[in-house]
Amino acid sequence: MGVFATSPESRRRHRSQQVAFAVLLAMTVLLVLPVLAILGMLVWRGAPALSLEFLFTAPVRGMTAGGIWPAIVGTMWLVGVSLAISAPIGVLAAVYLNEYARDSWVTRVIHLAIVNLAGVPSIVHALFGVGAFVLFFRFGTSILSASLTLAIMTLPVIIASTKEALAAVPMTFREACWNVGASRWQTIWHVVLPNSIAGILTGIILQVSRAAGETAPILFTGAAVFVPFLPQSVNDQCMALSMHLFTISTQVQSVPQSITYGTALVLVLLVVLVNGVSIVIRSRIRRRRKW
Amino acid sequence: MTSRVLLISLSALAGCVALALGVGGCGKKSRMIQNKGSDTMINLAQALAEEYRKAAPTVAISVSGGGTGVGIAALQNGTVDIANASREMKAAEKASTKKNTGKDPIEHKIAYDALAVYTHKNNPLAKITKSQLACIYGEQGTCRTWSDVGVEVPGCSGQEIVRASRQNNSGTYAYFREWVLGEGKDFKLGSRDMQGSKDVVDLVANTPCAIGYSGIGYKTDEVKVVCLAVGDTDPCVEPSIAAALSGAYPLSRPLFMITLGEPTGEIAGYLAWVRSDVGQAIVERTGYAPLPPDQRHK
Repeated sequence: MGVFATSPESRRRHRSQQVAFAVLLAMTVLLVLPVLAILGMLVWRGAPALSLEFLFTAPVRGMTAGGIWPAIVGTMWLVGVSLAISAPIGVLAAVYLNEYARDSWVTRVIHLAIVNLAGVPSIVHALFGVGAFVLFFRFGTSILSASLTLAIMTLPVIIASTKEALAAVPMTFREACWNVGASRWQTIWHVVLPNSIAGILTGIILQVSRAAGETAPILFTGAAVFVPFLPQSVNDQCMALSMHLFTISTQVQSVPQSITYGTALVLVLLVVLVNGVSIVIRSRIRRRRKW
Repeated sequence: MTSRVLLISLSALAGCVALALGVGGCGKKSRMIQNKGSDTMINLAQALAEEYRKAAPTVAISVSGGGTGVGIAALQNGTVDIANASREMKAAEKASTKKNTGKDPIEHKIAYDALAVYTHKNNPLAKITKSQLACIYGEQGTCRTWSDVGVEVPGCSGQEIVRASRQNNSGTYAYFREWVLGEGKDFKLGSRDMQGSKDVVDLVANTPCAIGYSGIGYKTDEVKVVCLAVGDTDPCVEPSIAAALSGAYPLSRPLFMITLGEPTGEIAGYLAWVRSDVGQAIVERTGYAPLPPDQRHK
């Protein structure tokens, strides 16, 4: 009997540790199961509907046949215009907050506002959008109003993720740069941004998938149930995938299930694709990182 | 290097925004005809817009729902070209439209709708009267179970009636409530208020205990349409397009497309087409009662 022989006490501890591992593993599997179930269900039910015709034609016969092209194009318009608004503002605001602003009560209030704005439910953003953009600014129900609403919704998250990416650049990098006589902006431009761009882009791209999936903010501000035309300008209304899915599953009778699931599958694939791109970008840039 | 790419793309994006805001800010009106409102009429409006594209390929029409209330509210704000309504506008709504937009709303009758009372297909109830409906739906109504209206429904445990109704900005809801209870009275609480006509029919199809109401255009093989009588001793009438047109079916109502002022240009052209023989054929195909020939646009 050596000193390190297992005692009944340590065997018991080992057993309970294994039980704990098993429970934790079960929790993790439980977390993944619904995702796999949803994806599997969508692919199984929706894949038969997918075809080039489904993707590139307009819905016909009371939206019970045909494709979803106007909805795909509409979603791209909404996401594109909203990102064109929120990405520049969000990144520049984050650069100011992280690199220039001193820690005063004003910046603390701004931080608080951003954190809280990120937690506002999307339907509240929607109502704000109706009041501000549709009615007050008289943009009407249009892509512009819907995109502005989406932009306001995604802005706080873009600011927060950009700030985090900037803060991840070690302070010593900046100090080294300052010490050779570089200005603040030179430091930001040549040192901080190149080293944080992966995180910044990831944050922005993740908001693409959020903007593409939301229904509430566009419901009253710009998306329509049916528009047999592709939008020509930001003043037009458009269809959107999320809204189309809602419509054909709650309003329209005798829509073949394959079309409903097919639409859902396209929406999910679009989001997965965008997230995949962000993962690739991040890993490529991270490989070049020097610390 | 990478940050230059970032800056260039950001400024390109910002340029797009400036452009977008410039275009939008000038208040340039979309060339789309915006058509919004009644959920009862959404499939009709959609079918009309889809077919009109073949008749007039250059006129873009966008269709959205939300309910008659949503359509009329948009009209009052001047944010819609044509509001779909499954009831007439109230005087107050007309007044506020005039006040906000400076134009009088004009109601264009485009079809008739017969509102049917639906039950589960196994429900033996053959006939229902107005007072029975009031007893089931009304605030003072005492009918709680199917035996209170004299039937036993197979598959319905407890025989308790499940009342399917609509959300309160629905024109269908307003019309049905007023017809059953009269002005100013309310339904009793505890009904299942659905977002759309199709939802009501779906609920009734899946619930043996249920009763509901929706346009006859939403009938499916999974539900039963109940024969409707006004007085307790009156003969009952099955809802149909013919009965709605002749006035024999009591629960039928006109459907409207409402414009701000007399329509002009493309909007006038669209409404004329909707009220023509071609448009009315689509109305009939979608399950609504078309306008009688003398009310159509020639």
